[in-house]
Amino acid sequence: MSLIVTSLRLIKAAFQNFGRNAWLAIATIVVLVLALASVNLLVGVNVLLVNATRLLEDKVDVTIFFKRDARPELVTQAKFFLSELPQVAMADMFTAEESLEKFKEQHAGDERVLAALNELDENPLGATIRVKARNPSDYPFIMETLKNPQFSDAIESKTYDDHAEAIANVQRIGERARAIGFSLIVVFAVIAVLIVFNAIRVAIYTQREEIGIMRLVGAGSTYVRAPFVFQGIILAAFALAITAGLIALALPSIEASLRTLYGGSAGLHAFFTSSWPQFLAIEGGGLALLVAVTSWIAAGKYIKR
Amino acid sequence: MITLRNVSKTYPPNVHSLLDVSLDIAPGEFVSIVGQSGAGKTTLAKLLIAEERPTRGTIELGGWDITRIRHREIPMLRRQIGIVFQDFKLLPKKTVHENVAFALEVAGEPWRRIREIVPQVLKIVGLEEKAARYPMQLSGGEQQRVVIARSLVHRPKILLADEPTGNLDTLNTQEIIDLLRKINEFGTTIVLVTHNREVVNGLRRRVVTIADGRIVSDERHGKYKIT
Repeated sequence: MSLIVTSLRLIKAAFQNFGRNAWLAIATIVVLVLALASVNLLVGVNVLLVNATRLLEDKVDVTIFFKRDARPELVTQAKFFLSELPQVAMADMFTAEESLEKFKEQHAGDERVLAALNELDENPLGATIRVKARNPSDYPFIMETLKNPQFSDAIESKTYDDHAEAIANVQRIGERARAIGFSLIVVFAVIAVLIVFNAIRVAIYTQREEIGIMRLVGAGSTYVRAPFVFQGIILAAFALAITAGLIALALPSIEASLRTLYGGSAGLHAFFTSSWPQFLAIEGGGLALLVAVTSWIAAGKYIKR
Repeated sequence: MITLRNVSKTYPPNVHSLLDVSLDIAPGEFVSIVGQSGAGKTTLAKLLIAEERPTRGTIELGGWDITRIRHREIPMLRRQIGIVFQDFKLLPKKTVHENVAFALEVAGEPWRRIREIVPQVLKIVGLEEKAARYPMQLSGGEQQRVVIARSLVHRPKILLADEPTGNLDTLNTQEIIDLLRKINEFGTTIVLVTHNREVVNGLRRRVVTIADGRIVSDERHGKYKIT
């Protein structure tokens, strides 16, 4: 018999079985959707957690205050030196005048501070450089590079000296959040695998007598198992499509409700829309493989002789 | 056609279901295997379709030694024997036509041949009008006729019927026995496992009586003798 004819018969049998055991199929799909949805929910929560941590990390920066008599060329040189470091994400330089303007803006409502400034004949502030590191753990290294005598003599102070502990805390929170998020995804994925495994086993258990009958009328082991494998893949495809639809429906409203909290996009929509092909490949492929292997094993259990 | 030589079957821990059974069944015979419940009749049937392996002895079917048949050869064997069960063993989610066609599909028969054979065998058992029905929509007698139709699709040389009338009333029982007799007239060897006295006595064919796992009588035109 040609392979095509056999395959067509097996696929037809799988679809027939799917249609004629509609309630069983629906129940199994619901379980698969719940398993997939729980994993995706956790992936979403992890994205929000990571983005929140990143938001917090983005708020961290260090300002370097130069002495009033520091030469502008030296400050510019320091700015370029810092910009060249791979650990530095951004280095903004402000001249003494710009620093004064900024200071005034920041204390616009404080009459006493502004009055005190007016009492002075000259600008009390020097130039400043605001540095943002790629990672909070990079700050100690960046600060170490500024101990170069070429710059250190011209530096008045650094905010890092006051905020080092807080920056380290932010770094620890970020690392912990990422680790917990990843661990939870792994745990939920394992639970989901067990749920799917059992759902398929139960679905096949209900058809164990039919497996025995197929065998008695001369069906080979593969001929008995293959329709269950195909049927499992059909169930997985339905579950995947429904889960994707639910995510697509829920994403805009979840994203909108988080906009205020995150002061802009929470990054959830962007994450799922940009990485859906990978998700489809990993979750779809994983689920299809899982149900196929489970179906093969579970059906085989009822093929005695 | 069927040869059993010193066949024994022992189930753990030490239950002897068949003991040293030797039996020869010639092509075209109609043999009734009778005995009380637990005598070993069903074990004998299971050995013939390789659902069980003998503990000792050899079994040959049409010259094929199936004593140590390999797992992957079992489907081939079952396509050559027609099998009829007391509990019908029809696929509940397939129609009458599909149930019969399934036995051909698993053997890799082409569509064209399936479309040709299935109506023929359904006509033989008188169910051509009910081909689109599901087993649940048929009476017990009709379900058993579907099973017989399914067993005939491969034109088997042997038809094994294990208590085929056990779940049927007198009228349906007679219909099924008449059908088996008709099939036998076309040359198929029939092995009928039963404990129905009327059926056996009405057939007036060879009767093999089993008691406690042993053949206690084998008569060419026998009667049901168990009390």
